[in-house]
Amino acid sequence: MILKTAWKNVWRNRVRSLVVIASVTVGIFAGVFSVAFMNGMIAQRFDAAIDEEISHIQITGKDYVLNNDPSIYMNSGDGIVQTVSVIPGVEQVVVRKMITGMAGTASKSAGVQIIGIDPDAEKRIFKLYKTIIPGTGDYFERESKYELAFIGQDLAKELNIIRFSVDITVLSRLGEKEVPVEIIHKLKSISGRRFPNEKKFTSTVTSILTKRELKEYGQLIKEEAWSYRENSRMTLTFLDKDNNQVSSVFRIAGIFDIKNTMFEQSQVFLRNEVISRLTGMDESSFHQVVIRITDIRNSESITEDIRSRFPELDVKNWKELQPDLAMMTDYVHQIYGLFMGIILAALAFGIINTMLMVVLERTKELGMLTAIGMNKRKVFSMIMLESVFLSITGGIAGMIAGWITIILTAKKGINFTQYAEGMEAFGYSAHIFPEISTSFFVMVTVLIIITGVVSSVYPALKALKLDPAEAIRTE
Amino acid sequence: MKILELKNVNKIYNGSEVHVHAVNDVSLEFREAEFAAIVGPSGSGKTTLLNLIGGLDMPTSGSIIIDGTDLSKLKSSQLIDFRMRNIGFVFQAYNLIPVLTARENVEFIMSLQKWSKRERDERTFELLKAVGLDERADSRPSKLSGGQQQRVAVARALASKPKFVLADEPTANLDSKSATTLLEIMEKLNHEEKITFIFSTHDPRVVKMAHRVITLVDGSVATDEIRE
Repeated sequence: MILKTAWKNVWRNRVRSLVVIASVTVGIFAGVFSVAFMNGMIAQRFDAAIDEEISHIQITGKDYVLNNDPSIYMNSGDGIVQTVSVIPGVEQVVVRKMITGMAGTASKSAGVQIIGIDPDAEKRIFKLYKTIIPGTGDYFERESKYELAFIGQDLAKELNIIRFSVDITVLSRLGEKEVPVEIIHKLKSISGRRFPNEKKFTSTVTSILTKRELKEYGQLIKEEAWSYRENSRMTLTFLDKDNNQVSSVFRIAGIFDIKNTMFEQSQVFLRNEVISRLTGMDESSFHQVVIRITDIRNSESITEDIRSRFPELDVKNWKELQPDLAMMTDYVHQIYGLFMGIILAALAFGIINTMLMVVLERTKELGMLTAIGMNKRKVFSMIMLESVFLSITGGIAGMIAGWITIILTAKKGINFTQYAEGMEAFGYSAHIFPEISTSFFVMVTVLIIITGVVSSVYPALKALKLDPAEAIRTE
Repeated sequence: MKILELKNVNKIYNGSEVHVHAVNDVSLEFREAEFAAIVGPSGSGKTTLLNLIGGLDMPTSGSIIIDGTDLSKLKSSQLIDFRMRNIGFVFQAYNLIPVLTARENVEFIMSLQKWSKRERDERTFELLKAVGLDERADSRPSKLSGGQQQRVAVARALASKPKFVLADEPTANLDSKSATTLLEIMEKLNHEEKITFIFSTHDPRVVKMAHRVITLVDGSVATDEIRE
């Protein structure tokens, strides 16, 4: 009966209750969606880091990472790969050669890290091969008489390998994609021009289009004007094992796009045997062993296992390789809890205010209830239940709204193209797919109930202090 | 059988400057099935006396004994439980729970006492029928007239089969017809359920129907007239 009475009391003043419920709904919706957004962003960054950049565990020679010295290498004769491969929980192992050098074209040059890989083995550990921009090549599939290289989109832009041009074909494609005629007309003024880099192209397009046109069609125009000539050439310069400078021309057989500017600008992939041939390094030598394990939760124990077997080597798991990522994934749940806690604490004050008004308005009734025999525990429970009902109704509505929004936005993602440059500079994709776990919803439900209970304490104590004889006389 | 006894009860309100002797050395006894009215001018201490009898307030001195239990010996939580089981209240302003129907208002006290659903339904039906509101059982108080609301309040007061019912000016807000109906119902229930009714009232109609009339003047019992 107390449960029923409390529920009916919530709806005694519909407008007031609805205002409180609406504020809780909006607060919870905002909290849930923000957390899903952050969670999606971090999960994408995490997946990208593991699947495209570092994998789970890496082994290098002692202090190789500190000195970047190519003379610190390992040999297949050391038995590292054989030993690591049979450790329980290890899924795949690949070896890489790594040297630093300069990449250059006729117009630009840039410092890069050159990584020697076995394309077939690499595909078993990394998903980089899946990020090749269509039309830029098939590095992982092709054999060639030429030296082939696989580079990132940002390095390609930096070296002016990717250019921008607007011609009849581009204008026609834009027309097919329903770009307004007036915009196409404006773009005709730069038709036939080739821009050596993205910056110059962007600056020119910005000067001829309005802000609104740019916002709506800028990205599409850039994508269509993107121009790349397959098998473009690039020179790599580096030192061989005797510290002699070596230069060689490579044909670019693929450009990857992984939403991490720093990685894209600095990594050039060649085949292991090419590096061996050009540097004079033994084919059985390598600088890095990359390990993928079956369950990431075992990364620390497997790392320790490998460390104990090879104390003379540097063995690092993903947490040590990317401490920022480790911190985010380790503390992310506490951060979400804190975030929701702050939102609920703010909402609690609204609920307390409402419940104090309720107690004030119902002084006479509460006095009557005490007079006829409703004990303090039951009066407290009734006030508390009303407060919990207010918060849980709003909370559930907010969670449902948040969940529906997450489902809807998770399908196509939320695109922040205008902030892509900044976000990708930190390794985050500008196209975010919100995601959230069921356990988070359980946590939010518990927090909402706690908020309801805590918010009711002060008003309920006020109610308990009422003197029934005086309260009944209240007008 | 004696169900209620007041022995030298005093109630003094101590203000910062003024001390009010609201109830002054009152000693009374009530028996089963009495229909008693406490009358007196405004400020004579009627409501204070009812609050003391009902355990809503504590006397400054003296004792109130209900069915052998001295109220002053009970802790706050025991007193609330004692009220629930032994005393019914009818208030001047009805004081029904507005969000509950007539049936639910009557059931409320029984559910606090954890009566079974069947027992509650039977008792509620019986009482609402007795007060002539069995057909309005599912109406909320806002849909009932003042007289009907007060009849629900009487049914609620009797729900847990108390030793006695205290009614503070029960007819004060009612028109003549409603007041008469209410009094007739209360008298019938007093007779049928053998429950003592104690009213504080100004209403001559109540006084006329009462079997015992206690007159208070300045907090003291001036007369205590028992009618046959």
